[in-house]
Amino acid sequence: MQQSGGDIVCRLEHVDKVYEGAVPTPALLDINLQVQRGEFLVVLGASGSGKTTLLNIIGLLDTPTSGKVWIAERNAEQMDEEERAALRSRYMGFVFQFHYLLPEFTVLENALLPCKIAGKQVEEQNRELVKELLHRVGLGDRLNYRPSQLSGGQQQRVAIVRALANNPELVLADEPTGNLDSKNGFAVFEMMRFMNRQTGTAFVVVTHDERLAQEADRVVVLEDGRIVKDMLQRPAQTHEL
Amino acid sequence: MIDRFSLSVAIRHLLYYKGQTVLTMGVVAVSVTLIIFLGALIGGLQKRLISSVTGAIPHVVIRQPERQPVAVWDVASVPAGQVYLGERIKLQQQKLKIEDWQTWLQRLPSYSDNIRAVSPVVEGQAFLTRNEKRKAVSVVGMFPELHNGVVDIQSKLVRGRFFGLNGGEAVIGFKLADEFALRLGDKIRVLGPEGNAATYTVAGIFDTGFNLVDSSTIYITLRDAQSLFGVGSAVTSIGLKLRRIFEAEDLAQKIAQQVPYETNSWMKDNQQLLSGLRAQSQSSNLILVFTTIAAGFGIASIMITSVVTRLREIGILKAIGATNRQILQIFTLEGTLLAFLGAVAGAVQGIALSLALYRIRTTVSATGRTAEVFPFDLTPELVIRAVVIAVIVGLIASWYPAWRASRVNAIEVIRGV
Ligand SMILES: Nc1ncnc2c1ncn2[C@@H]1O[C@H](COP(=O)(O)OP(=O)(O)OP(=O)(O)O)[C@@H](O)[C@H]1O
Ligand SMILES: [Mg+2]
Repeated sequence: MQQSGGDIVCRLEHVDKVYEGAVPTPALLDINLQVQRGEFLVVLGASGSGKTTLLNIIGLLDTPTSGKVWIAERNAEQMDEEERAALRSRYMGFVFQFHYLLPEFTVLENALLPCKIAGKQVEEQNRELVKELLHRVGLGDRLNYRPSQLSGGQQQRVAIVRALANNPELVLADEPTGNLDSKNGFAVFEMMRFMNRQTGTAFVVVTHDERLAQEADRVVVLEDGRIVKDMLQRPAQTHEL
Repeated sequence: MIDRFSLSVAIRHLLYYKGQTVLTMGVVAVSVTLIIFLGALIGGLQKRLISSVTGAIPHVVIRQPERQPVAVWDVASVPAGQVYLGERIKLQQQKLKIEDWQTWLQRLPSYSDNIRAVSPVVEGQAFLTRNEKRKAVSVVGMFPELHNGVVDIQSKLVRGRFFGLNGGEAVIGFKLADEFALRLGDKIRVLGPEGNAATYTVAGIFDTGFNLVDSSTIYITLRDAQSLFGVGSAVTSIGLKLRRIFEAEDLAQKIAQQVPYETNSWMKDNQQLLSGLRAQSQSSNLILVFTTIAAGFGIASIMITSVVTRLREIGILKAIGATNRQILQIFTLEGTLLAFLGAVAGAVQGIALSLALYRIRTTVSATGRTAEVFPFDLTPELVIRAVVIAVIVGLIASWYPAWRASRVNAIEVIRGV
């Protein structure tokens, strides 16, 4: 299957994470994980098993206590703050459990935020793409709405488009459906699956919902900070549109 | 470099949180209004005070120094055994005069661009007599067109004329005219110091607002004064009027090195007044400094609240790739923009207030001349300075809140801590 180095969007080697405190809490233990280009990976695990910690480390928001992290073939240890920020804005997209759209911006502007951060040129280049994505998630007629005028599911769809706005290689989603009812949750999940197939962006999606895991290319199960299961259900589609 | 993204977020925040924006602008506007209003008022009062002192006199006067008799041995070192005996001639009550004034009249203007007017005068004390009435007056012989640069008579004329004054004519103040019941065309008799007398026809009556000038000064032609005081073709002094009057002392000292005469400035004669004005400026500056600091704290506290209420947004922006620098800029730009907008509003208010009060006038003289009650000195520099200070204060005041914002930990925000 996927071999050449360019096909690996992120790689973790022997990653440990211990939260220092009065009582040091180990959150991740010896994690080894590679995410392939275009892969749709679901992370399952009980509460407190370390899923969010894992996503934060992949997303360069947090640093491991030991072990190595490569993003886009680059060693995370050697990046400064600006480089991490640049990778977060151009290489990755984030979907959070709570949609966290900015209330003072419209739907379209919220979806365009990562491009705005990257600069005027990027914003101009991606504006049409983002409009197109909003159309595809059924919000084509809501471009100038404020987030407060949308339902929770609609807001989460805007957040997904925002995560995809910069044409990233990797989208990290932490319980994106956790705050939605099962019908809406499933729709949002389907949405991500669809986007994954359409754009070839790799997804790492954390969820509690085992039903959703059925849809994934690959399922990783965490238990007390360890990967206890890593199942390939079907090969990632290195697709062309 | 101003980051475009940061600017757009800052502007959007300002528009979205209108109440907060207006509140902060208000804080700044009030202080800027106060700074401009107070600055203009104090400046105006000081200007009025200074002009009441210097309005009718030259800023720098050049005249012959009084000679003191000097012993020979003080001047030259005389070798022993070579002492000459001589008779010390008693100096006569000498006339202090400048013979070569025409040369200096031409040269002086080129000494400094600060020199606005040069007026050679023959000045002296005399008696004005009419019927049995007698009054000590000062008589000033001058060229009206030149001397008007020292004290403005022409535009303060109540009757008659000043420019184009002829020999045998005199221009006097309205108080003197009242006292002696003089009208245009009346004859006045002036007794010189050596008992010589001359008669002049009143050709103009003025109201300058300077009491001394209006009540006891008589202007005649230079030539008439030269013959009245017996100075031949010389003048007794040359008066200079300056553009920047506080450089008078410096200029006086500079000119003293270039002319063979003594110079004196208004500043030297009014040192007490000047130190009073300085103390006044300092205390008004103190008020302005505290106003500015208060406005700064106002901006800072509102910005801190703003950062705290928007922690989530900041965390999200950082998570999706905004750099610390961009976050820092969002808030410093917001603070600076707020200060700038507030300052502009305050400037408009301050200018409007000053101009409105400046309009109020009262009659200050029997001839119906009016003057403003509040003498505002509203200069563009004052307004620009107030706005610039406000903007700088806005930048400084928002620095700490902005720095706090840039240090927000995205993970904590996302976890909902
Ligand atoms: N800032 C922190 N300080 C100390 N311990 C922490 C911190 N964040 C997380 N932990 C601990 O690390 C472990 C893993 O937490 P993590 O949030 O990754 O779990 P999770 O799998 O995302 O759980 P959930 O499904 O409830 O979101 C937990 O035991 C948690 O208590
Ligand atoms: Mg979690």
